[in-house]
Formats: sequence, structure tokens, C-alpha cells
Amino acid sequence: MTYKIGIDVGGTFTDLYLWSSAGEVETYKTLSTPDDPSGGVLDGLRAIAEARGVALEAFVADVTTIVHGTTVTTNATLTRGGAKTGLLTTEGVRDALEMRRGVREEQYDNHFQNVVPLVPRYLRRSVRGRRDYKGDELTPLDSEAVRDAAGVFRDEAVEAVAVCFMNAFANGSHEEEAAGILREELPGMHVSVSSEVLPTVRFYNRVSTTVLNSYVGPILRDYLQSLTAKLAEIGFEGVLLIMQSNGGVALPEVALARPATTLLSGPAGGPEAAVAYTRLFGRDDCIVVDMGGTSFDASLVRGGEAEMVSESDIERLRIALPMLAITTIGAGGGSIGWIDEGGLLRMGPQSAGAKPGPACYGRGGERPTCTDANVALGYLDPAYFAGGKMHLDPEAARRSIDLHVAQPLGLSVEEAAAGMYRVINTNMAHGVRAITVRRGLDPREFPMVVAGGAGALHACMIANELEMPELCVPPTASVLCATGMLLGDLRHDYVRSYVCRFGDLDTARLRSLVGEMTGEGAALLGEEGVDSGRIEHRIDLDLRYAKQYHEVTVPVTTAMIENGDTAAIAAAFHREHDRLYGYELSAEGTDLELINVRVRAIGATDKPEILRLDPGGPDPSAARKGVRQAFVPEISAFADVPVFDGHALRAGNVLDGPALIERTDTTIFVSDAFRTRIDDHGSCLLTRKEG
Amino acid sequence: MTSPEIDPVLVSIIGRALKAITDEMSISMEKTTRSPILCEAKDFVTGLYDAEGRMLEQTENLPILSFSLSPVCAHIARKFAGNVFPGDVFFHNDVFSLGNQNNDVAAFKPIFVGDVLIGWSATKGHQADIGGNVRGGYNPNATEVWQEALRIPAVKVVERGVIRQDVWDLIFANVRLDIVQEDMRAEIGACTVGERRLVALVEKYGLDRFEAHKEHLFESTRKMMEAEIRSIPNGLYAGEGLVFFDGKNPGSKYTIRVQITVEDSAIVFDYSDTDAQTNGFVNGTYTSSASATLLTFLQMVNPDIPHNDGMTRPVKIVIPEGTILNAAYPAATTFGNHLCPPNADAIIRALAPVIPRRVTAGWNNLLCSLSSGHDPRKNDAYVDILFMGLKGGSGAMSDCDGYDHIGMIDASGGLLDQDYEMFEQQTPHLLLEHEFLIDSAGVGRQRGGLGVRTRYRMGGEDTQVVTFGDGDEEPAFGLFGGGDGTLNRIELRYPDGEAYRPTSKDMVTGVPSDTLYEQEAGGGGGYGDPLERPAQKVCEEVRDGILSRTSAREDYGVEVDPLTGLVDEEATAELRGSER
Repeated sequence: MTYKIGIDVGGTFTDLYLWSSAGEVETYKTLSTPDDPSGGVLDGLRAIAEARGVALEAFVADVTTIVHGTTVTTNATLTRGGAKTGLLTTEGVRDALEMRRGVREEQYDNHFQNVVPLVPRYLRRSVRGRRDYKGDELTPLDSEAVRDAAGVFRDEAVEAVAVCFMNAFANGSHEEEAAGILREELPGMHVSVSSEVLPTVRFYNRVSTTVLNSYVGPILRDYLQSLTAKLAEIGFEGVLLIMQSNGGVALPEVALARPATTLLSGPAGGPEAAVAYTRLFGRDDCIVVDMGGTSFDASLVRGGEAEMVSESDIERLRIALPMLAITTIGAGGGSIGWIDEGGLLRMGPQSAGAKPGPACYGRGGERPTCTDANVALGYLDPAYFAGGKMHLDPEAARRSIDLHVAQPLGLSVEEAAAGMYRVINTNMAHGVRAITVRRGLDPREFPMVVAGGAGALHACMIANELEMPELCVPPTASVLCATGMLLGDLRHDYVRSYVCRFGDLDTARLRSLVGEMTGEGAALLGEEGVDSGRIEHRIDLDLRYAKQYHEVTVPVTTAMIENGDTAAIAAAFHREHDRLYGYELSAEGTDLELINVRVRAIGATDKPEILRLDPGGPDPSAARKGVRQAFVPEISAFADVPVFDGHALRAGNVLDGPALIERTDTTIFVSDAFRTRIDDHGSCLLTRKEG
Repeated sequence: MTSPEIDPVLVSIIGRALKAITDEMSISMEKTTRSPILCEAKDFVTGLYDAEGRMLEQTENLPILSFSLSPVCAHIARKFAGNVFPGDVFFHNDVFSLGNQNNDVAAFKPIFVGDVLIGWSATKGHQADIGGNVRGGYNPNATEVWQEALRIPAVKVVERGVIRQDVWDLIFANVRLDIVQEDMRAEIGACTVGERRLVALVEKYGLDRFEAHKEHLFESTRKMMEAEIRSIPNGLYAGEGLVFFDGKNPGSKYTIRVQITVEDSAIVFDYSDTDAQTNGFVNGTYTSSASATLLTFLQMVNPDIPHNDGMTRPVKIVIPEGTILNAAYPAATTFGNHLCPPNADAIIRALAPVIPRRVTAGWNNLLCSLSSGHDPRKNDAYVDILFMGLKGGSGAMSDCDGYDHIGMIDASGGLLDQDYEMFEQQTPHLLLEHEFLIDSAGVGRQRGGLGVRTRYRMGGEDTQVVTFGDGDEEPAFGLFGGGDGTLNRIELRYPDGEAYRPTSKDMVTGVPSDTLYEQEAGGGGGYGDPLERPAQKVCEEVRDGILSRTSAREDYGVEVDPLTGLVDEEATAELRGSER
């Protein structure tokens, strides 16, 4: 028997999803080891081996594939624990990185400070050498100045260098020349070059992304070295793949070439797993919500594919690589409830985290959190938290709610807890709105897939707020991202800028750019062992109407590129513009402008099947554990709510809300408006009773 | 009708929902507009108002535009009472019926639930052109409004969903650039987004409940604002700000005088002693000046206060007509938004002694240039406002440094630089330098924000440069021992070696290709005694090249060893000791 394992190392927990060739699926959660996260991976593997009663080495010998999502690069960025980085750039523009185009996100808050740049000014060295907007040389590169800068980097014990020159997207030869000198002068130095990392127009985007790439490069390198060494030590001979921010996977050496592609590695498995579950009931669109201890992530899948963005910010630092569109807001089990100056109730974004934690944890937390409200409302059984491994103190929860929320508002503890519950649900609903309504999509048309330890207690209310009719809580909801890691393909994104009016488009040049990128992609996938028959390329063009500033990314076919069929490309753009913004200008004959050409190379992987659950009839009473008083929002009152053992439910069981379904890793609250059916694969499918 | 019971949680939810709606409207504008002033720099505001025009919520990318929408909305609601139907759209820019600036053109859309008018959605953006004598609108020679722009005094352009083509054509026949029409369509689109979402919200909770909870939201916001005002000691506080050069009379100077009365939970800003209006375009309108007052005061209070009608209830602003801040018909007023910096100076100077921990030192004032001409690479015209060049530093506070390269206080970091490479794609110019300006920050225990130096080589043909702004005569002021920032400066170096330094309100035509454009945007004012600034911080700024060793020594009393780059402790102790 052989195994595949998805491993998601998070801040608090390491989630593991195990799939065996015999068709078994198991999920595990172990505590993370933040000092060396690879230790958590090993602990997780050890826990699986122990649970299966075999020696670690014997178990690992049967593991063919490990797919790993890591937050090491994310955390290095958030905590400023990355490499000491130098920047080599064009004379006259070394401050662009720090200026961030002069934005202050909080306009009325004079205490709001700029982000400390990843490279301090004295390590931002500029050199003469200039290319114009087309890439033509105006001034040759001053190679002596590059050597001088290398000397400074050496003296300052810099660990990584980013190279980003003006207009290098159009011609990267100055950058290549400079990188060559740096590598010669500084052997073994991690050097990132903007025309390789992101050859697209927009200097700030490119310099910021290239610097991020350098900043996390040595961190990822050290981590993967440590991990592969540890895995080798215990005899792992299978394939290790790294989850990338684009939802695809890559070999470690490929991820190392562009370390910034791992900045969303952790949550990137979610959408893929979510759609795998919704596909089972015939839907390839869904909204994915994942609520953990401190944050709430919302993402979107359409037409079977996770929605992507080509630029976004991480801690207010721009990254312009394709990443999953994940909206994160500060709402989680640890979010603190408080009263503002005007006497209004707020929840978060401050979180009590795991330490001191919610008041009910009894670890010194005094402020009332979302989890405390859930205890006071009867949603969480204090004796069955984490399957009974942890006991909660309901009185501590009530006391802190009373003191900090109920008394100031003149409410009872229950009313206050219900208010906290509503406010945080509203906040999360706004997060879902941000990824749907803001893009002109109607959330009611999507099923919502619920993930994370805390998600299933709140999902019905988020759905009510947005009038969403359908929810799905997969059996692996609490480790959904790890599940998704086994479902990702090998995936590499390429982009080149080709700025021109559509009327002047040189279709041969367009063809050769596409050919260049598909060639690179095919070669890389070949190195990763993918048969050519399993390689696919997707082509997108970033287009806009002449004089517009924001582009629309339009998928085009290989045939359109091969045949230089500009009419078909234009028609595809008009359609997409109309879909997004409600109008198009084909009748006006407005010229289009091409900005970027994008290629995604995809190498299909073998994916595990999702298992079936033993069938039972509609009657769930065999799984009924008892009944307890819990708050039913639809009637704004407490009522007797039946409680079910989630592990004893069978496919085909139907439960009417209000009901609570307890699993060891999550509790599902089916509110009064909903009814749930257990589907053939063990997901709880919630639909509206009246519907 | 019995008033529905107030659910305090629902008040929070409605407040958040309103903010989400105006944010969505803002995204819609950003993604669909064409003028870089709108989609790159985000010089627009989106908002929701109740049936009487009272502010429900706004997203204020550029605060100086923000507080004229509600008065205009109320004006339209009155003017068209009984003649407002679902599907209508109104345009407005007229500065003599409560508009703030001619180029800031607003679209208003009434919102109905059934046949009941429940509110309005509105979008106002700075349009690339709105007629008048000068391309782009800044006409330093204007003496009356008609030389500046087409006046649009609240007209209905769409009735019951049908465009009034004759009215529409009349407007856009008087505008130079086609993109303005597109960008006004984008404004209407954003209003429609707001309309749909507000209707859904009201239908969800019912009109009675919505109305009752809305009033409660106003009240809770009023209480927040009153609590802030009560924390300011009662009294009468006066301050002045200076306006240099009216664009017509060299050496001219005007004074903005504010008297601020704080009495318990109410505050009055009275500008009665302010100088009379000019005969040029350096004049404010009531709403641009009142916006300036509000945005400055809002930076001194809790930044989390929602922006709705309740916020303004405890605040009274008196600006007599005929003053430079509220010019009488038919004065030219295009410069009015840019009277915000000296107005802010007056308010800060008045309140600094009373609430020293809540004010900043002076901010760098705006000095801006607009280049236009013909780009032979594309055989097309271009217009560019050099946003990157105009953004200097903000003033320091008692406990934090000023913000580097943030730009004028009326935008407070909402206005963005164009990207360098996009600049070279969109204009025939070549950027040579855009970096922090050494020694530009006002010195202090907390230093001011840094200014920037910009240089580019001008290309193309038929090149014209218009300058507008200030800050080239008076720097951003320091507070409580902090030093001043540096001055603004623009200079053109022609290929023949001649140099020309435009005035702060100037128009230079026939600029030859290969002219070198140079601009310095100054730093913000410092706060507190520079000798109290930690020597290590001073040393790091010397290391980073934003502070000279000379200034470190002479202003901060810190000697930095040129060999080691470290603080020379002994020499520093002596310098700091001897200067005590």
C-alpha cells in the first residue's frame, strides 16, 4: 500500500491529510513548531505512523508523494525575519520601493506610519545605465559601479540581492550583465533579477516583487534544505512538492527559483479542495470561507478554477505575481468584542490569539472573544472542545462578556453574546461581499464551502446575511487546505510585457513571445517529470481600451495566437469588458491596447478520489447524542437544540435545523432556516427549509 | 406611526453596510474611468445621502472634494422637489450653487423603494477638462467663472432611465476631451451600484426600521464627535495662514484668519476676519473651504468616527461671502481647493497650544505642474499632471515623525504617484530622478516628512507647462522647537543653457524639446527640540543619506564619525551639552 500526504503547516496547527492507495483517508492535526517548522512536519508524520502502529521509517518508505504548504515565507515577511537584502537599481529611482507611490492608506490618521521597507536606503545602491521605454539603450551599464555596490553588499554582510532597472521589462540585458558581475563578486549570493521574476511594465510593482523574492529566498532555501534533509534521514524517497500561491504545485528547486511564489502557499490549497467537493454535486463554482483563530479567508472558484489576481499586497507591500484572490479579514475565534466611543459594539480586528486566548480557555485571557460568545450561546460544548481534549470555562466566558459588553450596553449576557455573534458574522459577510459583489458577482448564485475549525458555527448566519441558499461543510473541513494540496497540478506562470496599440500589433512578435513562454514552461515541466501528453498551456492577454489605465485579462486560444486572429481576440475582450463593467465599445470602434502576454503551463498530476461514506436512511437518530439549550438567531431566543455525533452520521441522513453536529475538530451549527443532508461523500449539504 | 424599537447591533450593521456600499462605488469608479487623474490618482469621492441630502456615508479618496456633496444633494432635492423619478440622473459642478471646484463634476442619482424617495447616491470626480479658456482647467488669467469652465447648475441628464440627449450633447459639446464623457458614464455607473445596494439594504430591514436606525446612527456618531470636542478645553483660539501670489499681482499676499470657539461639545470655526477675495482665480468657494476645515479637524480627532451627518452636527463653520475663502459671484475660483493648506495652517496654529499632542506641525504645501503637448511617438496629444513631483512631507507630531512624500494635506496620501515606467509610456518624457530630498525634513525631536526631488527630460512637441500651487515662499512650519521644512521649487533648464523659474501660478508655452524639468517638493515641519532626538536615529538617517553630517552636527548636535559611520559619543555629548 502506498500513501500520498498533504501537509499544511500553519501558525498554530500542522494539518495533515493522508490518502492511501487502498482508498482510506485520514486527517491529523498536530501542534506546529514555529522555531523550525520542518519539525512539525516530522511530528505530523510520526503521529500518523504511531496511529497506524508502524515504525516511522516503515511508514515513510510507502509514501510516494508529499505536498507541502508552508507559511515560512509569509511569516518571514510579516515578522520581518527575512534575509538582509540589498537592492541594485537605476540611478535616480532608488526610493520607489520605500515611497510605495506615496500612499497613506489611513488618510485621517496622522499616527499611521509608512511600512518599513524590506531594504533600508543605505543598501539600495543605484548605478548608471539606462534603457528607454522600448528597451533601447540610452546609457551603457556602469559595470565598475556594479562592482562597487557588490563591495558594499559584501562589507555589509548582505544575504540576498535584488536587481531591478528601469524598463528592464522591455530589455533585461543590463540586468543580466549586472547579475553576472554580482554572482562573480559574491559567490553563492541569492540574486533575484526583475526581468526574470516579473518582466512586466510598472516599475514599482516590479521592484517590490523582486525585493520580496530576494527577501524570502534564503529563508525558503534554508527551510527546504532542512526539510529535505530530515525527510531523507527517515528514508523518504518519494516526491516532495511545494504548494505555490497560484494554487499549483512545484518541485522544491523550481519554487526556489521564484521564492515569492510561495507567499500564499498555506491557504492556497483551499479553493481546489472546495471545488472538488462541490463538483460531486454538479457545481464547479463556489465561495470558500475559512475561519480560524485570528483570521477569516474568503476566496472564489468559477468554472472549476480558483479566481486569481495578478497583483495584490502583503502587509502593504506590493506583489505582482499571479496569486489566488484571497480576501483576509481580522475575524476569528479569538476576535475580541469591544465598545467604541460612540457606544457601538465592535468585534476585532484585535485577537486574543492562542495566548492569552479567549476568556473561556482559562489561560489568562480577560477580554471576551468570539469563542466566548459561542460558549455563552450554547454552540460549543465546554466538555467536548477539540473532541474533549480541552475543557472550556463557561463561567469565565460569561463574566468577561458581562463586564466588557453586556453592562456597557445595558444588555443581558445572552443578548450581548448574540450581538457579538451577529457583528462578527456581518464582518465576515463583508469579506465574502468583497470577493463577489465588488466584482459584480451575486453571492446567491454560489454554494458556500465552509472550512476551518470555527467556520461551521458561523456559516449559516453569513449565508443569511447574503441570502445564500446553499452551504457545504466537507468532511475534511478543518484541514481543507491540506486536502487541496493533493488536488493541485504542477503549474507555472509566465508573463511578458508587449505594450502596443492593437492596430499596430505585430502578430509574429506576439506568436514568438507566446512560443518563448510555452517553450520554457514545457521544458520546466519536463524537468519535473511530466509527460508531454499531460502538459497544457493557457494563454491570457492583458488588454484595455486605448487610454484606459486598468487592463482586463482575457483568455485567448492557441488558434487565435497562431492565426494572428486579432478580430477574435478583440471580440473576446469586448465580451469580457461588458461582463465585468456592464458596457463595451465595439460599436464606437475604439482601439485596444495590449499590455501583457501571459502563459500558464500546467502539468496534470494524479489525484486521489474522494471517498464514499456508508449509506444510511434519512433518519439521523442513531447519531443523536442529546439536546442542549442554544441560541436560535431566527427567533432571537434560546431553545432546545438537538446535538448529533458527526462521526456517526451516515450518507443520506437528513437533519432539520436548529441542530448542532459535533466532530472532534469542528462543530456545525445548522440554524433554524436550514436543513442538512449528508451526501454520499460525507459532506453536510445545507439548504433552506422552505426551498 | 410608532417608532420601531432600536436594536443597537443593527445600528452597527447598517453603518458597516453603508461603508461597504460606498467602497464598492469607489472600486467601480477606479476600474472604469480613463483619465489618470481618476483611475491612477483617485481624485474622486463616492457617497450615499438620505432623501433630504444628509450624508449617510462616503468613501473619500480625496477629502477636499468630500464635504460639498451633501449640501449640493440637499440643493438638488429642494430644486427638483416633485420632479424626481426613479432612473433620473443629475449632473452638477456649479461653484455658485455649492460646488467646490469647476472641474469636480458630480453625478447624483435618486434612490427609490417602491415610489418613496429614500436617498441619493453620488459620485464626484475631477474631470480632465470641463471647458473654459485653458485645456485642463487651471487658468491663471481668469477673473470670472466663464473663463474657467462650463457651469452646470444641477441639470437632469437622464429622466426615468432615458438619456436627455439634447442636454447631454450641450454639455459635452463644450468639453475638449472625449474621455470626459466616458468618465461621466463611469460616475453614473458607480451611482447605479450604490442605488442597487442601498435598495437591497432598505428592503431587507424595512423602511421604518432603516429610518429609525439611521437616526440612531447619526446620533451615536454625533456623540462620538461631541466626546472629541469636549476633550478640548473651552475657549477662543485664533490662528492665521498665508496665501502668496494671486497669479496676477506680483508680491501679493493674503491672510486667512480663523477664530475657533470651543464650548463644551460644540465647536465653531469663524473666518469673518479673513482677507477679501482676489480679482484672479485664487479664491475659494464655501464648500471647498468648509471641506478644508473639516478634513483638517478630522485629523485631530478619533479617525474611526463614521462620516455621516451626525459627525458634522456639533461643528459650525462661518465663512462670510466676499472673503478669499468664499468669493462672491461671478469670481474665478479654480484655485480654491488649494487654499486648503493655508487654511489648515491657520487651524493648526490656533489649536497647537491647546491640544499639542493632537496636531501636526505644518505640512508641505502643494506646488504642481501640468505638462501637455504632442507625442510624436504616438502622433497623439497627451496631458500629464506630475503627481510624483508635487508630493512633499507632512508635519511631525509629538510622538511620531511626519510621513515622507505624502503630498498636500487636502489629499493626505490618497493621491498617488504615476508609475515611472507608465509615465515614460504615456508621455514623451524621460525620468531622470525621483528620490527623497536630503535635509528637506524640518528638524525636531520628531522630524517632518521628507520631500522629494524630481527631474525629467522633456520630449515631444508643442509643449506647454502650467504651474499652480504655493509653498515657494513660506515653508512648512515647525512646532515647539521643531524646524521648518524646505521650500517648493520648479525650474526649467532650456537646451540653450537658459533657465526659467515659473511662478507658483504660471503658464509657459513653447517649451523646447530636451528641456530639463526640475522640481523640489519640500519637507514637512518638525516637532520638538532636535537635541532630544535619539542620536542613533540621527546617525541612521546620515547613513541612509537623507540627512547631511552637517545638519546632524549643527541642528541635532550629533557627530557622526565619517569612517565608522557610528555616533561619536564624546563629540556628541559635548555638542549637545554645550548647546543646552
